[in-house]
Amino acid sequence: MDTIKLYLRSMKMLMRCQMEYPRSFLLNTLSQIIMQGGELFAVMLLIDRFQRIGQWQGKHILFFFGMMTITFYLVECFGRGISNFSPVVQSGALDTMLLRPRGILTQVCCYAVDPRRLGCIAIGIAALCTGSRACQIVWTLPKALLLLESIAGGFLLITALFMIEAVTCMHSVKSIEMVNVFTYGGRSTCQYPIDIYPGPLKIMFTVIAPFALTLHVPAAYILDMQILNLPGWAAFVTPLSGLVSFLIMYTVFQRSLKHYRSTGS
Amino acid sequence: MMNLCIRFLRPLSPHSLLRRLKPYFSVFMMRFRIETQYRGAALGGIITQVFFGLMLIALYTTLYQSAPQTVPLAQTVTYVWLQQSCFRMLLSTDSELMQTVRTGGMAYEMCRPLSPYGFYYTRAMAQKLVGSTLRAVPMLLIAFLLPAPWGISLPAGVWQLGMFLLALFMGLLCTCAMSNIAMAFTIRSLDNSGITSAMNLLLVTFCGNLLPLTLFPDKWQKFIRLTPYAQLLDAPIRIYTGEYTFMQSIETIGIQVFWTCALIALGYFMWHRNQKHMIVQGG
Repeated sequence: MDTIKLYLRSMKMLMRCQMEYPRSFLLNTLSQIIMQGGELFAVMLLIDRFQRIGQWQGKHILFFFGMMTITFYLVECFGRGISNFSPVVQSGALDTMLLRPRGILTQVCCYAVDPRRLGCIAIGIAALCTGSRACQIVWTLPKALLLLESIAGGFLLITALFMIEAVTCMHSVKSIEMVNVFTYGGRSTCQYPIDIYPGPLKIMFTVIAPFALTLHVPAAYILDMQILNLPGWAAFVTPLSGLVSFLIMYTVFQRSLKHYRSTGS
Repeated sequence: MMNLCIRFLRPLSPHSLLRRLKPYFSVFMMRFRIETQYRGAALGGIITQVFFGLMLIALYTTLYQSAPQTVPLAQTVTYVWLQQSCFRMLLSTDSELMQTVRTGGMAYEMCRPLSPYGFYYTRAMAQKLVGSTLRAVPMLLIAFLLPAPWGISLPAGVWQLGMFLLALFMGLLCTCAMSNIAMAFTIRSLDNSGITSAMNLLLVTFCGNLLPLTLFPDKWQKFIRLTPYAQLLDAPIRIYTGEYTFMQSIETIGIQVFWTCALIALGYFMWHRNQKHMIVQGG
């Protein structure tokens, strides 16, 4: 509880810091809206040309796109310390954190926030709402709760994937671009439902980085569609894979902290 | 403005032209050497970019199964590979520039007996050329070795290959002109994230990186290839895949030349204006 209070407090402080430059904040947020809007624009042109992908129609794709965008940029916004870890190591901030009587992960999360990403989240929400309207989803309480569970699971999963990069950072100082395949690659791949891809990609994003389990299975349930031949109740269980991934990476993170040697700056 | 024109129109003998271009060539070579040092970083980039290529091809293959298109799948696959492998040509930021502006190093830049525009233009060119070549050559090799539905096709013909390389070079000149315009904004506003990044982001969408321009709505095709963004990679790729006849290819290169000249003129004018209004603070 104390940790959450601490986190919220630092978020508030960091946000206020950023708001000291309102013009820069507005321009940056606007440019993020243009960026994510461009992605949405491309997806809409694609839908316009091809009408359907496998069993999915355009309206479904918008829903998937919205869910992925919201989840991914929530991490980029509120977990900025983790998703951009290499400056924490390079600047020696991690050394300072090791001296303080608090969990390292908490401190890393409290280290940075990126409010510009709120622009991207807004685009995600717009896509999700448009998709849900077009599909005429009847929102019931279980469905709404499932959406929240799914986004929470996705949040933990993406955080866990960024932690892989953080761990490699502790060993090699510079971040390794290859890990992007899971994070940014996962985002681009899994903004479309997983069942349109061939085997290897399916396995990669179901078993190794379970985007399909945390986001797609619940989304399919909400849309009253079938995916991966899973029964309906499974949708409520699979988002937990995000939590599992997070716990695994949490242990790895704590272990590699023991091997961390300062950069000496 | 008058002054500017006169400087452009000053008569040049071939010898003095060469002598005046020599320092820029040295800047280019220097930057070239610095950039080739980062071969390790290129490797990580290649793997990521190949992954993105494969993922997009998987996506388009599924899409084509549900709705066959007039643009053949093989052509779209080739488009994706060429875009992914030359990605570095489009976006690259000169991180030193911001520092030069912040620290007041710009004052030194002004002291050089060179045009600052030309100086930064050549630097950008070396950076983009090396950055993209280091990635493109191995990536295209991989793309050629991949089996049929996944791999890149050979150019449509011999003259297409020649024209493609020429158009690609024009694209390089054009993208450098664009990044110099972005730099001019950066120098003025001291903020490299606002307008500059908005410009870059439009670029990713309208140069065909997110979605091949050939797959944009058919009604748009006529004018979408006239935009400056389409001159960077879209124009060369369309020549490569044999979409254009010989005359159309010549016309395309003509459009590229037009935009390159226009953007260089605009950028040069902006830098010139910046130079006049520059205030160097502190010491």
